[in-house]
Amino acid sequence: MRTTTPEKLVQLQKNPSNIRNICILAHVDHGKTTLADSLVASNGIISQRMAGKLRYMDSREDEQTRGITMKSSAISLAVQRDAQEYLVNLIDSPGHVDFSSEVSTAVRLCDGAVVVVDVVEGVCPQTHAVLRQAWLENIKPVLVLNKLDRLIMELKMDPLEAFFHLQVLLEQVNLVTNELFTTEIMAKTSSQTDGAGQEKEKSKAVSNDWTIQADDEDEERNIFFSPTQGNVVFASAYDGWGFTLNHFADMFSKKLGIKKEVLQKTLWGDFYLNSKTKRIMKGAQSKVKKPLFVQFILENIWAVYESVSVNRDAEMTEKIVKSLGLKISPRDMRHNDPRMKLQAIMGQWLSVSRAVLDVVVEKLPSPLEISEDRVEKLMCSQSQNFLSFPKATQELKDAFISCSTSDNSPVILFVSKMFPVERKMLPQFKQRPLSEAEIQQRRQQARQRHLEKMSGPTDVVNEKTKDEEVTTSQGSTVTSNGTASAVNGGGAPSVEANGIAMEIKATKKEAEEEAPTVFVAFARIYSGTVKKGQKLYVLGPKHDPSQVEEGAVRVGQSVDDLGTHDHITAFTVSDLFLFMGRELEHMDDIPAGNILGIGGLEDHILKSGTVSSTVMCPAFTDFYLDASPIVRVALEPKHAGDMVHLVRGLKLLNQADPCVQVLVQETGEHVIITAGEVHLQRCLDDLRERYAKIGLHASSPIVPFRETIINPPKVDMVNEAVQDQPIKTARAKEFEDDEEVIETGLVEMYTTNQKCCIRIRAVSLPDAVTDLLEQNVNLLKTLHGLNRAKVYGQNSKVKDTGVKDKGVKDTVLEALSHFKSSLSKAFTEEGKTWTDVIDNIWAFGPKRVGPNVLLNRVEGYDRPSVWDIQGSEGLLRDFDSNIVSGFQLATIAGPLCEEPLRGVCFVIEKWEYLDMSYAKLARISESESDPKLTDLLSSSVEKNLIIEEVDEKCNDSDKEEDSCEEVKDVIKPQRKREYGPFSGQIISCVIAGCRKAFQTQPQRLMVAMYKCNIQANSDVLGKLYGVLGKRNGSILEGDMTEGSQTFNVVATLPVVESFGFAENIRKKTSGLASPQLVFSHWQVLDVDPFWVPTTEEEYLHFGEKADSDNKARHPNLVVNGEEGPEKPDKWFEGGYR
Amino acid sequence: MATLKQPTGQKRLTNVAVVRLKKGGKRFEIACYPNKVVSWRNKVETDIDEVLQTHAVFSNVSKGEMAKTAELKKIFGTDNQTEICLQIIAKGELQVSEKERHAQLESMFKDIATIVSDKCVNPDTNRPYPVTLIETAMKDIHFSVKPTRSTKQQALEVIKQLTETDSINIQRAHMQLKITVPGKDGKKVREKVKKLATTVEQDDFSDDLEMVILVDPGCYREIHDIVVSATKGKGQFEVLNLKHVEEGDEMM
Repeated sequence: MRTTTPEKLVQLQKNPSNIRNICILAHVDHGKTTLADSLVASNGIISQRMAGKLRYMDSREDEQTRGITMKSSAISLAVQRDAQEYLVNLIDSPGHVDFSSEVSTAVRLCDGAVVVVDVVEGVCPQTHAVLRQAWLENIKPVLVLNKLDRLIMELKMDPLEAFFHLQVLLEQVNLVTNELFTTEIMAKTSSQTDGAGQEKEKSKAVSNDWTIQADDEDEERNIFFSPTQGNVVFASAYDGWGFTLNHFADMFSKKLGIKKEVLQKTLWGDFYLNSKTKRIMKGAQSKVKKPLFVQFILENIWAVYESVSVNRDAEMTEKIVKSLGLKISPRDMRHNDPRMKLQAIMGQWLSVSRAVLDVVVEKLPSPLEISEDRVEKLMCSQSQNFLSFPKATQELKDAFISCSTSDNSPVILFVSKMFPVERKMLPQFKQRPLSEAEIQQRRQQARQRHLEKMSGPTDVVNEKTKDEEVTTSQGSTVTSNGTASAVNGGGAPSVEANGIAMEIKATKKEAEEEAPTVFVAFARIYSGTVKKGQKLYVLGPKHDPSQVEEGAVRVGQSVDDLGTHDHITAFTVSDLFLFMGRELEHMDDIPAGNILGIGGLEDHILKSGTVSSTVMCPAFTDFYLDASPIVRVALEPKHAGDMVHLVRGLKLLNQADPCVQVLVQETGEHVIITAGEVHLQRCLDDLRERYAKIGLHASSPIVPFRETIINPPKVDMVNEAVQDQPIKTARAKEFEDDEEVIETGLVEMYTTNQKCCIRIRAVSLPDAVTDLLEQNVNLLKTLHGLNRAKVYGQNSKVKDTGVKDKGVKDTVLEALSHFKSSLSKAFTEEGKTWTDVIDNIWAFGPKRVGPNVLLNRVEGYDRPSVWDIQGSEGLLRDFDSNIVSGFQLATIAGPLCEEPLRGVCFVIEKWEYLDMSYAKLARISESESDPKLTDLLSSSVEKNLIIEEVDEKCNDSDKEEDSCEEVKDVIKPQRKREYGPFSGQIISCVIAGCRKAFQTQPQRLMVAMYKCNIQANSDVLGKLYGVLGKRNGSILEGDMTEGSQTFNVVATLPVVESFGFAENIRKKTSGLASPQLVFSHWQVLDVDPFWVPTTEEEYLHFGEKADSDNKARHPNLVVNGEEGPEKPDKWFEGGYR
Repeated sequence: MATLKQPTGQKRLTNVAVVRLKKGGKRFEIACYPNKVVSWRNKVETDIDEVLQTHAVFSNVSKGEMAKTAELKKIFGTDNQTEICLQIIAKGELQVSEKERHAQLESMFKDIATIVSDKCVNPDTNRPYPVTLIETAMKDIHFSVKPTRSTKQQALEVIKQLTETDSINIQRAHMQLKITVPGKDGKKVREKVKKLATTVEQDDFSDDLEMVILVDPGCYREIHDIVVSATKGKGQFEVLNLKHVEEGDEMM
């Protein structure tokens, strides 16, 4: 039976000093949820008997079936202690690495943490992680050593062994804390540039993190766990018992007549009882005596287990029960399963919930005791000084510390995550038993409806709206048809009134269908009282209170309206909830210091955010995420038409999950990045069943490549220096008898109508230049934009664009000129061939901003370079833009596998018209510098000229015919019909030329590389290197972090090899190392994809075909084999003999 | 009496692909390796010995009858067997094996999907669809590949069919064009161009007309003609972007 009503909880919420916000943290399977079950059972929400089996906090279906927690969920519990009532807001968190982001969200909201450690498994990787997290968030932990029953039943230890085991374990846990402590001090001192004198003071400040005491010695002890301090609980959550030294100190002080304080200090440790003198002595071990802990505590527990479970001695059990003064129901005593008996006895004797909650209430701070340090840490990131905030903001600190619930104090909330709730689970939609009056009312309505129906067809709509009114006023949905339609039809207004409209603007239609899930913000209130209907501000992560003073803040209605510099939206609190595990309880107002749910924030907060009644409040710092998302997959719907649903589903998922990243790639793929395989699985399930409700495929995403050419290599495949001429690649040989190819890298092309000749050379760009270009893509973009704007501006003679330009100029032009100079420096450093290049750059590509360069070396064509914004287009030759377009197209898809080029420089060395008419025209246009003259052939003025020329020049009948027709029909230029417009011919000519010039050079593929950061301790370092090596990674550095045992390994890894890498490395290192991957650079794969052995050694080494070893043809590289249509043919020529 | 043992059910010439050529009323055959003939014709395979089982010309491969030298000389004008083999390979007819045909159709299917995904965008996001998605969409509309037509032609066909059915929301990627027309002709051009353009990005008409528009690539010629004819060649016409799509990755 439930012992606490929501009303009572409301009462308790009002007193912040009696509130404890705690979370349960541990490694996976160390018994967090079981422990939570026991605590929940203490409030009668679930039966004591079911505690530990039900896993009440695991409300998701897959959580129950898999047996692991996947999300953090909260519950409020009332605790009675020493005539005081306390409210404990408990958050259960997941233990699996993949969900460590959920842990972060939980930790942020709490003041204290219960760290659970399995006594058999000991300190595990996640134990490290959660302790670190608690440390970083400045919250105070207590330790629960769980599963003591396993020491008895599984390992069959005797009490003394168990004692030593526990001692060792405790030392290990403290070691972790110590490491954190020293690391932080080390970091602080190393970053400190001041004299050594201040160091001591600093370290004092540091240790203040966990306690507000001053003495150095005491501090040291306070951060450690020790039973004598009372911050360690020994428990077996499964069997429902647990204790602290306090319990036994109480018990035995009466029995032995020894002071409780003394017992408290001596029960744990190397103390024994001298039975003759009845005095407690030190040095149990050296005198081979039983320590007090063993004698008084463990042996008693062991005895219970012995008699109940092992020997099943009914008499003995009876005796024990009697001596402990317990009342066990006969039903439990008669139970066949000894476990049930045991639970009944132990649960009554040493209730785990009592033990844990006592410690929580006693040792963990209330919201009132929030330390200044923590407030400052919350309000500003490390890089920012708290004192830099405006005064009004600094005053808010006091509001934090006083945690005042009065209406005058500002409301400050932190939302740590958005929590999806099924609509029907919301309290207002929940089915409640109807009261007698309601039933009456409903009956009447039904009768009335019936009457209306009988009296003939009345206005149906009218009836319906009435119906709606009734249902909404009752606040309950019943499954009858009429109400269902009311929800559907009239949903929109009521939904909007409640502010739970899920979709934003564009999907208003969808909203009418009623979104099945609603987002509730999982939040903690730090100050003030939040009320239903209150108007609050949502402060975006970039919100800076100092801007408020300047008055430059605009308040938007939803995130969509916001410009880039606005970070504030206003919203009205529509619903307030109290989390009760699976359920939500409706609240009208919630005072400071509590954990609460807020409805109506979907449109305002994506994942986490700050909510306040004053704009002076700074945005809270982002929380520390232990695992960054690294597992990438591309998603696509099973049916192509479901794309819309997928996109919507992804948006919802993104909001609901703090750790998932969703992005649309340039290729149009929807990629989600998750923290691990389990997390991925959960996301997919969520999408399938909850958010998108469609069938899905997940595949590894397309890996991008780049194509490039290199300078001829100096060594061949067996590392022998190349003796004679640079090796002719098999590919290059093909071009030997191609007459268009003049020499390697230089080709001469004619347009299809043989009127124009273009000579193109391909050279590889120096690395430094390529890198520089790649880094400055944005700058190039603005340059291009400026150029274009300039051309527009001049053409249309509109002056405002010019004015606008000037605004941009000052900042951008400076950056541009700086970039230009650094680029020219990079060029000149590369040698003589590149000296005059900078002013001859024609264009960049692909997309006009890429890392490839088009150079102008046409004799007699003095084209203004790309830098010359002022360059009047009068100096441009006609068809200039077509050459550029051709270059752009050639660079966007290379000949190897249709991937973009990188680091290639195309030089146009000749550009001549063979047909005099074109040449003449070109000349005319040049001399007259008439910009409008592009489409020469149809210009009527020049037409005559052309015709004359043509008549003179062309003898063959075809052309004559053309010119005749032209005379007749001036408007239609016949010549174009032959091969399409001349502009198009130039484009295709340039593309073909670039490709061919590219192909005659040694071609290479480039692969994307990840930079990989891994933290690992020395034990698993070897395995780590093994995994990296197997996946073609190379280690850049591997230094030890000062003050700790962890190594920080930095490596590079090809992106293609990264699929399953995270999983692999975690498995191999048993979870002790988890990598973080960031894209770093492109690397040339130094193998010719077309390479075949030529020298004798090579034949010897690779065999005649040598297709087995070519890395550039490795199947891994064709992950996206279907990408380029030509690739499979060229590379995997089928056919077997 | 010992019965004559005849091997039945034995399949001969399993690893031989026969290429036939009828010329001068006579039939000539050559024996090749399967799979290799097509790659020879595609110029992927360059070594003739990898293609031919033997350099001999047969009148019937399965019976092992060689062609008569006199006939060869009469009909091909040479008795160089290798040369004749080359001719037969180039022109002769060939029973393409099922697997080979299947592979070819498959690769054509993929080619078509690639072309479609290259040319089209999702109008909601203005981003291309992934190839695999196009493939499923093509299967949904039961598109069958015709081996005789070029992939590009068929891709255009697919685009048409896909836009007609509402299984997938798809659209040709638009071309970005810039049109500059001097003063007096501007009005005419402007009206006409506006009709064709899907979106007008910029429309300046002070002295000269200057427009930046997005159009379906199919309308390129039409617009070109309009601009050229209306202005008698004074109009300037520039392709700013062949495929107007969103660039870069977008976080959601």
